[in-house]
Amino acid sequence: MKDIFSEIWASLRRNKLRTCLTGFAVSWGIFIVILLLGAGNGLMNSIQESREGVATNVMDVYGNWTSKPYAGMKEGRRILLDNRDVEVTGSDIFAEHIDKVVASVSTRARIAYGKNSINGTLTGNFPDRQEMERLEILHGRFVNDNDIAGKRKVVVLPENVANELLGILKEEEQELAGTAGGRKVAVESIVGKYVKFGDIPFRVVGICKTDYASGYNKCYAPFTAVQAIYVRSNRIDQLSFTFHGLPTEAANEAFEKEYRAVLNSHHNVAPNDSRAIRISNKFTQDMQMSKAQKALHYAFWFVGILTLLGGIVGVGNIMLITVKERTHEFGIRKAIGARPWSITKLILAESVAITAAFGYMGMLLGMIGCQVLDKTVGQAVMTVADQKIAILVNPLVGMGEAIEVTVVLIVAGTLAGLFPAHKAAKVRPIEALRAE
Amino acid sequence: MLIELKDVNKTYNNGQPLHVLKGIDLSIDRGEFVSIMGASGSGKSTLLNILGILDNYDTGDYYIDGKLIKGLTESQAADYRNRMIGFIFQSFNLIGFKTAVENVELPLFYQGVSRHKRHELAMQYLDKLGLTAWAHHYPNEMSGGQKQRVAIARALITNPKILLADEPTGALDSKTSEEVMQLLSKLNREEGVTIIVVTHESGVANCTEKIVHIKDGIIGEIEDNRQHRSSMFGVNTIMK
Repeated sequence: MKDIFSEIWASLRRNKLRTCLTGFAVSWGIFIVILLLGAGNGLMNSIQESREGVATNVMDVYGNWTSKPYAGMKEGRRILLDNRDVEVTGSDIFAEHIDKVVASVSTRARIAYGKNSINGTLTGNFPDRQEMERLEILHGRFVNDNDIAGKRKVVVLPENVANELLGILKEEEQELAGTAGGRKVAVESIVGKYVKFGDIPFRVVGICKTDYASGYNKCYAPFTAVQAIYVRSNRIDQLSFTFHGLPTEAANEAFEKEYRAVLNSHHNVAPNDSRAIRISNKFTQDMQMSKAQKALHYAFWFVGILTLLGGIVGVGNIMLITVKERTHEFGIRKAIGARPWSITKLILAESVAITAAFGYMGMLLGMIGCQVLDKTVGQAVMTVADQKIAILVNPLVGMGEAIEVTVVLIVAGTLAGLFPAHKAAKVRPIEALRAE
Repeated sequence: MLIELKDVNKTYNNGQPLHVLKGIDLSIDRGEFVSIMGASGSGKSTLLNILGILDNYDTGDYYIDGKLIKGLTESQAADYRNRMIGFIFQSFNLIGFKTAVENVELPLFYQGVSRHKRHELAMQYLDKLGLTAWAHHYPNEMSGGQKQRVAIARALITNPKILLADEPTGALDSKTSEEVMQLLSKLNREEGVTIIVVTHESGVANCTEKIVHIKDGIIGEIEDNRQHRSSMFGVNTIMK
C-alpha cells in the first residue's frame, strides 16, 4: 500500500500544474454537487416545515358542481353538503376506514374589540377539529362538548388576531416605533373578554398558535352556534374525517370512488360523477409530495453528476497522456517482471487518488458553501399575504450524502482510469529495448 | 544445458512477411560467457527478445533449465523474466524518478519481498558494485558507467539464471566500456554467472569466452574465444 502511494506521489509531483488543473475540474464538479444537494435539502426542509403539524390521515370534503345530467336534472348544479352527509359519513357503511367525522361552517366577519378591529373568518367547529389540525392552544382551551350542546357563543382566537385586537405590536414593529418594552399587555388578558363578530359578541375562551397555512385569521367557535346564527339551515361548508387502513394510492382512490357514490346518491347525483363533491385527501397529497421530493433529490444528483462528468473526462484525458509519456518506463517495469495487473493497478490508483483528493477538497468547499448559504439565503423569509415562508431551512448535507459522494468519487476515478490503465497494461516489454 | 533452442523460427507479419529467424539451434551451458554477434538486420535483436522472453516465437522449442518457454500468458512471462533473467540494456533503462537503490529494489518489489528486506539486499548489491555512496542519488546525477553498474546490480538482485546484456557498452566511452566488460567477466569467472552479451562490436565480443555469429537469421560460426584473440586490436581492448 505504502509502495503504491509513494509511486503515485512521485508521478503526481512530476506533473504539478497539469494535476492541479485537472483536479480543479473535479473539485468544481463536486462543489456543485454538494451545493445543489444542500440547496435541495433546504428547499425540502422548508416544504416539510410548512406541512408539519397537519395530520396526514385526513380527508376534507366540499360540495361542488355536478358534471353529469342525472334524473332529469342538467349538469352544473350546485351541491351543498348538509348535516345528513355528516351522519352518512359517520355511519356503519364506512366504519371500516373512517374514525372521526367533523363538520364545519364558516363566515367572513369583521372582528372588533374596543377600538381595534380586523377582518377574519369565523368557523364553527367540533372539539375533534383541534386534533385534526394539530392546533396548539397557548392560553385557555379549545371548543368543548358543552359549548356544542349549549350552542355557546365562545371563540378561540389565533395569537396574531388577539395581538391585533389588543394593539400589541410585533417585535420588529416595536423596534421601528422605538417603543420596545414600553407598553406591555399580555396576550392572555383577552381570554374571558367579549369580542364582536359583526354585531354579535363572542366570549374568548382560548388563544391558539397562529397557523398561517390554515386560512385567513381563522377563529374557532362551536359548530352549533355558528350554524344557528349565520347559516340558519342544516347546510355545512366542509366535512372532514380521519381514516385508517388505506396504505396505497390505489386503495385511497377506490375508497374515494365508493364514498362519492354514496354521497352522490344522497344528493340525486349520478353515482359516477366525480365532480359533484370535491375531496382533498391529505394522505395521498403527502404521498405525492414525498414522491416529488424524491424526484427533486434525483434531479439535483443528475445535474451534479453531469457537472462532475466534465472533470472525470479531464482526469481520463490526463491519465492517457501520462500513460503515453510513461510507455518506456512501463516497458522497463514489464521487462524486469511487472505483471500487467500491477501496471493497471498503478494507473487506476493514481486516477482514483487524483479524483478522491480533489473531490474531497471540492466537498469541503461545498460544505463551507452550504454554511454560507445557511447564513445568508437560509435566514431570508418571504412574506406572502402575511404568511412567513422560509425559503431554505438548514440547507446542509448530511453524513449519508457525504458517503454517497465518496462512493461516486471512487467509482468516477476508477472509470476515468479504466481505459488508460488498460492501455498501460498492454504496453509490450520490448518497449524497454527501444532506445529513447 | 541451461539454454536450449531447437529449430526456433520467427516471422514478422507486418504487411510483407519477414522471416527473421530461420531455424535457430543453440545450446548454452551453465557458467558460460557468450556473445552473440551480428550486423543489424541479422536477427540478433529478435533472438535476444526470444531469449529474454520479451517476445514469442512461431515454431520450435526454447528451454531454460529444462523448462519449456512457450505459449505463456503475460503474467507467467513476467514471472519468468523476473526470476530467471537479469537484463542489462544499452541505455541503462533506469527509472528516472527513482534513486539508485529504489531502482535496484524494483525486481524484488514485483516478487512481493518486504520493503525492509529488499532495501537491505539492494544496499548489499550496490556495495558489491562500489556504489554505496550513490545509493540515494537519482540516475541523472550519475555518470554512464555508474548508471550501468546500478543496472547490473538491478539485474543481479533476483539471482537470475541468465544475465542478458543488450549492447551493454553501446552508450559508454571506451574506457568505461572496458570497465563494464571486465566487471561482467569477473562476475562470470568468480561467481559463475551465465552471461549472454548481444553486440555488433568485435571488441566487446572478444571479451567473452565464446562468440556466436548470426547472419540472415541463421547461426553461422561458433567461435571458441577462451584465448581472447578474436579482436584484431588485441586482448582486453575495446576500440570505439
